[in-house]
Amino acid sequence: MDLLRDLLDKQVVDRRQVKIGKVDGLVAELRHGKPPRIVAVELGSITLARRLGSRPGRWVAWLAARLGGERHAEPHRIAWKKVRNIGVDIEVDVDVRRTAIFDWQDWLRDHIIGRIPGA
Amino acid sequence: MKKLLEISLGIVTSVGGFLEVGSMATAAQAGATFGLRLIWAILLGTICIIFLVEMAGRFAAVSGHTIADGIRERFGFNTFLWPLLATLLVNFMVMSAEIGGVAIAADLATGIGFQWWAIPVAFLAWLFLWKGTFGFIEKGVAVLGLVTLCFVVAAVMLKPDWKQVAAGAVPSLPDHDAESYWFMAVSILGASISPYLFMFYSSGAVEDHWDKTYLGTNRAIAGLGMSFGGTISVSVLIVAALVLGEHGVNQVDDYHQLPLLLIPIFGFWGFVLFVASLAIACFGAALEIALQQAYLVAQGFGWTWGEDRKPREDPGFCSVYTISLLLAAIPIGLGLDPLKLTIFSMAVTAASLPLTVVPFLFLLNDERYVGDHRNGMISNAAVIFVIALGFVLAVVAIPLQIFGGS
Repeated sequence: MDLLRDLLDKQVVDRRQVKIGKVDGLVAELRHGKPPRIVAVELGSITLARRLGSRPGRWVAWLAARLGGERHAEPHRIAWKKVRNIGVDIEVDVDVRRTAIFDWQDWLRDHIIGRIPGA
Repeated sequence: MKKLLEISLGIVTSVGGFLEVGSMATAAQAGATFGLRLIWAILLGTICIIFLVEMAGRFAAVSGHTIADGIRERFGFNTFLWPLLATLLVNFMVMSAEIGGVAIAADLATGIGFQWWAIPVAFLAWLFLWKGTFGFIEKGVAVLGLVTLCFVVAAVMLKPDWKQVAAGAVPSLPDHDAESYWFMAVSILGASISPYLFMFYSSGAVEDHWDKTYLGTNRAIAGLGMSFGGTISVSVLIVAALVLGEHGVNQVDDYHQLPLLLIPIFGFWGFVLFVASLAIACFGAALEIALQQAYLVAQGFGWTWGEDRKPREDPGFCSVYTISLLLAAIPIGLGLDPLKLTIFSMAVTAASLPLTVVPFLFLLNDERYVGDHRNGMISNAAVIFVIALGFVLAVVAIPLQIFGGS
């Protein structure tokens, strides 16, 4: 498998087929004398910003921590062993409701969208 | 039978959705100033959009990806940012122009200045998206959009010299106002080849759960729907050339001149038909572009998206179209001339084409996405042609805007 081609930037769906984001980054473990191994996929704005450069990465990490607290100071990580299926989408054995990934969408729903009639 | 129904519905959708403020204003201006001589630009633009729409639909049907998904996945986030930002910006300008078009129609109908209509129009569009489903938006607005066929009726009733119409279909050099001629050609091409059209189409194909069995349907809809749509644009140009020319109007620089188009043919009802056509065509386009902004961002970042969901199920998606509509209403609310904005944004659209069309060359030739349904020689030639055209337009459009634009 070609990691960059077959994994990076693909759609991630959770256990219930909810679209939770893209594979924004991959976390590899360097092992002595053996090829590196993928241990997790990363999602979220901090990872994306790091791809643009170290400075945007720092800014967005600072901003995310300011807005979202400690829980959001680091990118969201999903362990590699949770990956169930790699097809058009990448399915992970995770329930997005139990992660911090959609905290901002929940906030938006609870504070703004949900308060507009007809939502 | 079911397929036939789907094809007809698809054609109705593309015909009803084809005409919008850009194609209407550019065709009317070109007709008034250069008679029938710029018909070729509409034909060329229509052929290009047929190819791009067919490809966008084929890509979605075979790979299950929208074009935005495909660009992000194939080229990575850093590259994706460029077409993302360019399309968001172009869409913002075009959506603002569409809101302006509806506002002008309301102004013509009521006499209340167009700038006062910007916020109400944006609000009404938002309400449709907030409460409506994809099918409702796509088909409802499209069926109403068929009112724009009155231009075809008008063009036929004017009995144009069909030899001259045919002559206009062949590109020719201008005999006067060369800068203005080329600038109009560019604007017409930008109005016909709108990125939002093919990107929206691929999102629609995914929303409607297309698969490989839809490839024939897709080809028929792209080919026939866009051709009929192009026919309406050509009709606008013919009507403008014959009616405005006859009344001594050879420069359209004010929307208030436009209702004149249909009055000599239909009398008072011509005025009503024009106002209805303008309002419905622009309103439909504003809805589609607002939705396209939300699709683009949600697909680019992998959020949950879909117009058939309730807003509370995809708050991120809804926030994008809400904010987009609000922002797009601002320039018109501040009194920016919708006609100027329209013509300018069409030229910018044309210049932005390479960013959105270059990816087609890769995506539609990549077996991992489209398998055996890769582009043939002709489709690839068409893509390369649009890219080359876009590059030339990017180099030419901006200087022309400064020296030749009205």
